[in-house]
Parts: sequence; C-alpha cells; structure tokens
Amino acid sequence: MFLLKPINKMWRGLTVFGRVGLLILVLLIFMAIAAPYLTWQPHHASSGPSLAPPGGAHLLGTDELGVDLWAQICYGARVSLIVGLGTALLAGLGGGIVGTFAGYRGGWSERALMRLIDIMIVMPDLPVMVVLAAFFGSSLRNIILVLALFSWSYPARIVRAQVLALKEQAYVKIARSYGAGALYIIFRHLLPELLPILAVSMIRLAGMAIVTEASLAFLGLGDPTSRSWGLIINHALNFRGIYFTPYWKWWLLYPWVFLTLLVSSLALLGRDLERIADPRVAKG
Amino acid sequence: MLVKGVKKKNCWHVALVFALFLSLLAGAAGCGGKPEPALGAAVPAPATPPPGEVAEGKAAPREPLVIRLEGGDWGYCSPFTHYPRGPGIFKMQLIFDSLLERGEDGYIPWLAESWEVQNDGKTYLFNLRQGVKWHDSREMTADDVVFSINYYQEHPPVSIFFGDVLRDPEYLLEVTAVSKYQVRFVTAGPNATFLPAAGLARIIPKHIWEHVDNPQEYLEAEAVMGCGPYRLTGYSKEHGTYRFEAFEAYWGPKPRVDIIEFVPVSDNVLAFEKGEIDLTEVPADLLPRFQNNPEFAIKENPGFWGYRLIFNYERNKLFQNRELRQALAYAINRQELVEKIGRGAAIPGNPGILSRHHVWYNPSVPEYAYDPERARQILQQQRLAGLSFTLLVGQDREVRIGELLKEQLARAGIQIQVESVDMKSRDARIREGQYEIALVGHGGWGGDPDYLRTRFASGLSDWYSGTPGYHNSRVDELARRQILETDENKRRALIFQLQQELALDVPEIPLYNTTGYSVYRPAKYDGWMYMFDHHALSHSKLSYLDWK
Repeated sequence: MFLLKPINKMWRGLTVFGRVGLLILVLLIFMAIAAPYLTWQPHHASSGPSLAPPGGAHLLGTDELGVDLWAQICYGARVSLIVGLGTALLAGLGGGIVGTFAGYRGGWSERALMRLIDIMIVMPDLPVMVVLAAFFGSSLRNIILVLALFSWSYPARIVRAQVLALKEQAYVKIARSYGAGALYIIFRHLLPELLPILAVSMIRLAGMAIVTEASLAFLGLGDPTSRSWGLIINHALNFRGIYFTPYWKWWLLYPWVFLTLLVSSLALLGRDLERIADPRVAKG
Repeated sequence: MLVKGVKKKNCWHVALVFALFLSLLAGAAGCGGKPEPALGAAVPAPATPPPGEVAEGKAAPREPLVIRLEGGDWGYCSPFTHYPRGPGIFKMQLIFDSLLERGEDGYIPWLAESWEVQNDGKTYLFNLRQGVKWHDSREMTADDVVFSINYYQEHPPVSIFFGDVLRDPEYLLEVTAVSKYQVRFVTAGPNATFLPAAGLARIIPKHIWEHVDNPQEYLEAEAVMGCGPYRLTGYSKEHGTYRFEAFEAYWGPKPRVDIIEFVPVSDNVLAFEKGEIDLTEVPADLLPRFQNNPEFAIKENPGFWGYRLIFNYERNKLFQNRELRQALAYAINRQELVEKIGRGAAIPGNPGILSRHHVWYNPSVPEYAYDPERARQILQQQRLAGLSFTLLVGQDREVRIGELLKEQLARAGIQIQVESVDMKSRDARIREGQYEIALVGHGGWGGDPDYLRTRFASGLSDWYSGTPGYHNSRVDELARRQILETDENKRRALIFQLQQELALDVPEIPLYNTTGYSVYRPAKYDGWMYMFDHHALSHSKLSYLDWK
C-alpha cells in the first residue's frame, strides 16, 4: 500500500504521452513475465504448417519452420527486456560511480577519466561492437557486457556535471566543514539529487540497448539460438524474396511492431521523467 | 548610358533563360511521347526481332543480340586470376576452350575431334581439330596443348579438374606433340579420371604465356586471349561488370549471343522483372509470379548443390558404431527439411551419397524413411541412452537447419546442441577436425563420382575432403577398382555397388540437394541449357552457342 502514494504522485506528474508509454511498458513487461500463460504453443519447436498466416491456432501466424510467432514474440520480450534492463543497470551503476568519483575527487583522476570518456564517445560504437561480438562469441551475457562497455560514458558525464554543481552548494560545503566524510556526503546529500537524473539516462540507455541488440541480432551477431525480436527479423529478412511474398505481413511486421512499441514507450516515459527530474527542461 | 546598357544585358539574360526553359519543356514533352530508356536499364529488347524477320532477315543486317546477366566481381578472366567459384570459372571458360567440353549428357569432343586409348589405358592419343584460331588469328596447334599441360605443372591454374592426376609427375609421365594436330599423353596406369582431367584443362596460347613467369600477376589484355567463342572487351573490378563479344573467326558452333554483359544488380528478381537482366534464379515462393505466363519460361535446376551431416570419427568413437549412424539416418526427416528450409525446391539426400539427379545415381539403394520409433529401438538395442551431441553449423539458413534437426532428433531421444559460427570459422574448424557433428553445404554433387573415393576411402587425412577415422574395406575395394576401370559401363556398375555399400554403412548423411528454379524470357533468348554435371544454366558454354 505504501507504494501507491508515490506511484499516484508520479502518474499525476506524467503527460498523456508519458502515461501511454508507461502503460505499454507495463503491458510488455507483463507479457514477458507471463509468457508461459499467454501462449499455448511452444516457442522453440514447430507446432503447425510453415508460414501459416495469422488466425486460428496461431494468433500471429508461424515462421518458415512452423514455429508460432506469438509465442516467439512473448518469449523474445524477455530477451529484449533483459538486455535493456541489464545494460541500463550495468552502465548506469558503472557510469554513476565513475561520474561521482570523477566529479567529487577532481584532480588528475578526473582528467584521466574525462579523457577516457571523450575517447568512448568518439569511438564508433556499432562497428566496434560488431568486432567485439564476433570476437567474444555471441551469448546474451556477452552482448549485455559489450553494450554496457559502450554506454557507461553517457551517464558518467551527466553525473559528473551534476556532482560538480552540487559540490559547490552551501549545504554540502557546510556539511563538509563540520567534518562529514566523502561517503557520508555522497550517500546523504548527493545521491538523492543524482538518482532521478541517473534513472532518466538509464531509461534512455535501455532503449538504446534494445535497439542495438536487435541490430546486432539482425546482423547475425546475436546469440543465434536465442529467439530475440531482432533475430526473428533477421531470419525473416534472410528468407529470399520475402517482400515479394505475403509472409512479411506477419513474420517481419509483428516483431517490428513490438520492438517499436517497446522502444517508443521507453522514449516517451524517459522524456516525462526527465522533465520531472529537471524542471528546467520543461520550461525551456 | 551605362545603366541602360546593363538593363539591356539583363533583358538578354531573361530572354535566354526563357528560351532555355521553353526548349526544356519541349524536350520533356518529347520524352513523354516516346519513352527513352533510362541509362543502364535494359533496352526493351531491340535485339528481339519477331521470328519471321530472322528467317527472312537477309536484307536487313541482324541487330546484335545482347544478353545481360547478374554481375559481380569474379576476378580477371585468365585461368590464373579468376575466383575459384562457379561464376568466375565459367567466365574464364567462355574465352578458353579445352580438348573436351561438358555437354548435356556427358563429355563431348571439342578442340579434340577424337581420341584413342591405347596400351591398356596407359596412353591417350588426341586428334586435334584443324583450323582453330586464337583471338589474334594465329593457329592453335599441338604445341599449344603440350605447352599448356607443361605450364600447369609449374603454375597451377585456379580451377583444375582432377589436378591430382594431371599435375602428378609420377602419374603423367610424358606429353608430346606427335604431329601438328596430334598429342599423346603417357601415364603410369589406367585411371578413370584422366580423360576429363586432360580433356577439361584449358588450352592457353604458347606464344603469349611462354614469356610469362608469374601468371598470377599477369593482367595484360593478352592474358585473356584464348581460342574460345568469346573475347573479353570490358571489365571493371570495382563495378563488377564484364562485357564479352562473340569471336567472329570461332572454329566451332556459331555464337548465337553476340554480346554478353554482366551488370550490377541489387535484387536479381526485381532486375529481371524490369528487364535489366535476362536470366535469374528465383526462390520457390516467387514462382507464381512467373508461372502460367507465356512471357516466361521456368526450368528446375538439377540438384547438384547440397547439405550433408558429417561425423568426426576420431573425436567421438561412438560414431564407429554403424547402428548408431543408421539410427541417426532414421531419425532425420529429410522431406521436412526439403519442404521447410528448401521450400520444396530441393530433393532429399541419397543415402548412397550421389545426388538423385546424378547421371550415375543408383535408385535401388536402401532408403531410411523417417522413423523416430525405429531409431529409438536401435539405440535401445545398442544400449545407447541419453545421447547428446554438438552440431556445428554456419549462419542464417544453416542455423534453421540446425534448429530443425535438433527438434527431429529430440523425438528419437537424441539431444543436440546447435553451435553457430560464421561460415569461414566453420570451414576452418572442419579443416582442423574441431567438431563432433558438422553441417556443410557445397556444390559439385553432379561431378565425376570419384569423389566417393576421395571422401570415404581409408587413410585419408584431409578433414575437409576426406573422412579421417572411417574404415570400410568393401568401400576401399570398390573405390580402388572404379578408378582403375576405364570402361565406362563397367565403372558405372562399380559406382552403383559403391553407392549400395555406402547407403548401408551411412558414413555421413546427405540431407538434401537444392534444385531451385531459373526463369528467362524465351522470346528474347531460348538457348539456355545445362551441363550434365552442373546446376546453373548460365554457366554452360553451349547455352550461348548454336548447338541444338
């Protein structure tokens, strides 16, 4: 019950778009968690004729092996969400720690970290990720690690800037003059201010990670036996002449629709949360 | 004065622009009335006079027939510089002739009018055609043939049939020009593959190549001078375009196609529909677009490209058990693979290995109809429970085959882990023997059946072409006898027996051979034909010549 109040408060703070985004996101998360109850066909074994159109026993039709697409999409949501969540948490936490450390500590360690961040930002991520994915082998864990490795710099920069500003605040200075330790100040005074900003950038990262996982899978660098949405799209596009046949209307379209829904719901939610976390954005 | 002058000038400008605008308008109107073909697009068959016109076409000179095909860079067309895949090989063969050619039913006399096998199959005497001209109009003679074979000893060409007999000094003892039009090959003993080996070696002009020490880097215009029906008149590596023109003084059947052009296309079906290319392969699902339409003719290609499952006999000794291999053969539903992955444009693999479209296919070998129950029973009798294997596959379609096999074998109680790596890593790991079961796909299933020997005879150490660790004395015996047999009928009987033996023993499992469909417009050109052992219409030299 105690959760209801903040949720209610947040709900009120959202715009219509934000609310729609949140609803879709909750629905998709529900879909991923309840996948075994929502589907009535196996998701990695054929259960019907190949390339059956939507309808009947197959809500969204089947792919060329005869595997039910609705089941694949429900279970595929797990892959996309795990990748999004995993990358966001890893990169958000890592980037947050690096940013706080750099901002609070200052000096040569800050300069070194900032140059590292600069390098990470100019590095063309997709080509390097393609190389890394090919090099480390393509398992889900590796993909999350590689994605996190390439996205921590974004939250780190934002957090550092915020820490730099907060460090100069009078109450922080006073706390320090009373002899408060670095950890105390970080946890007591900085963290509450940083969390909303970090949360917003993590939502952005999640959206980015989901799209990147899909594009890696689409390029054939995903875990080929997992059934992520990107991989369904990859298989569909590898089907020769799919655009000349009616098959793209379900095999290609539905995973694309769900991918788009997930990413845009994250984007809508992220925009609203950003406004809440930093009221200046709303004014500007 | 000055101001007035400027004004006048400005008026002139306006008038000029206006005039230009008018002329543009007029031009546009003209274009609208009579559509001009866009640059690069196919001219809507200017070279297709109605059949009547051709028959009585003595008065008007015939328009050159231009055939356009899908391009792509396959290397410079000398025998030493093209890429070692079908499209590269056949372009080179348009320029270079050989003693024999591959026809629809078998080898046909080409530069050699006839030949004799003497001395118990040890000596071959080829009688050359007279009056054959190189593209620079010098005459091709026996000296050129002898030179070519000797040159290949030192400088192997990219593609060579049965190079192991042609380039083995222990086997090919001597090549001599008996007269200007006769060549004699002396070998160490009878070998069934020697005739195609000598017959299909490309003949290169002595007066050009005797001065060339590094043929791989010889990229002059002379490097693509042969005595074949076409001359290379344009090549762009960057764009992947080629242009071939018929050679007027060709000795043999008249080239029906005057100009062959290879143009870049992004999607071959789309390009064919727009008329940018004149022949294309079409996925089975797109066939309805071309069926029941007299404008198009469809041919089903023979199944000489295929996938097979290979076992690593040295890594896992279980595979030495013939019953286990038979159980695997029963547990795999080849028909389902044909329908789902091959989309129906394929034929199930022959347990006797050769493709079912091979000219020497033995239709009476034992078949392993899909029967997971029987596979289970065999495994129970053999006390093999809880089997689990790793299957190495490449990418894309091969992953799908792997997934389907996993599902099928699970029904017989065999667990499969599919491991997917990119194509080159897969090939490399097979070459090093780093796999348990692997899936490989390749062409050449219609070629000389001696590949049964090079794949399954004992003591072969090459992981890629052979099967290390596999022993079957019956197979060894038959493989040895067929290669020594130069009488075609007797050899055919031996190959039939060999297939029987292999089908019983299941040293590997051919999954399916893809057929696929080729579509063309017969009104524009209808000379397309297959070679007896090859799957592509455009790769046959006879397709372009007045042969039928």
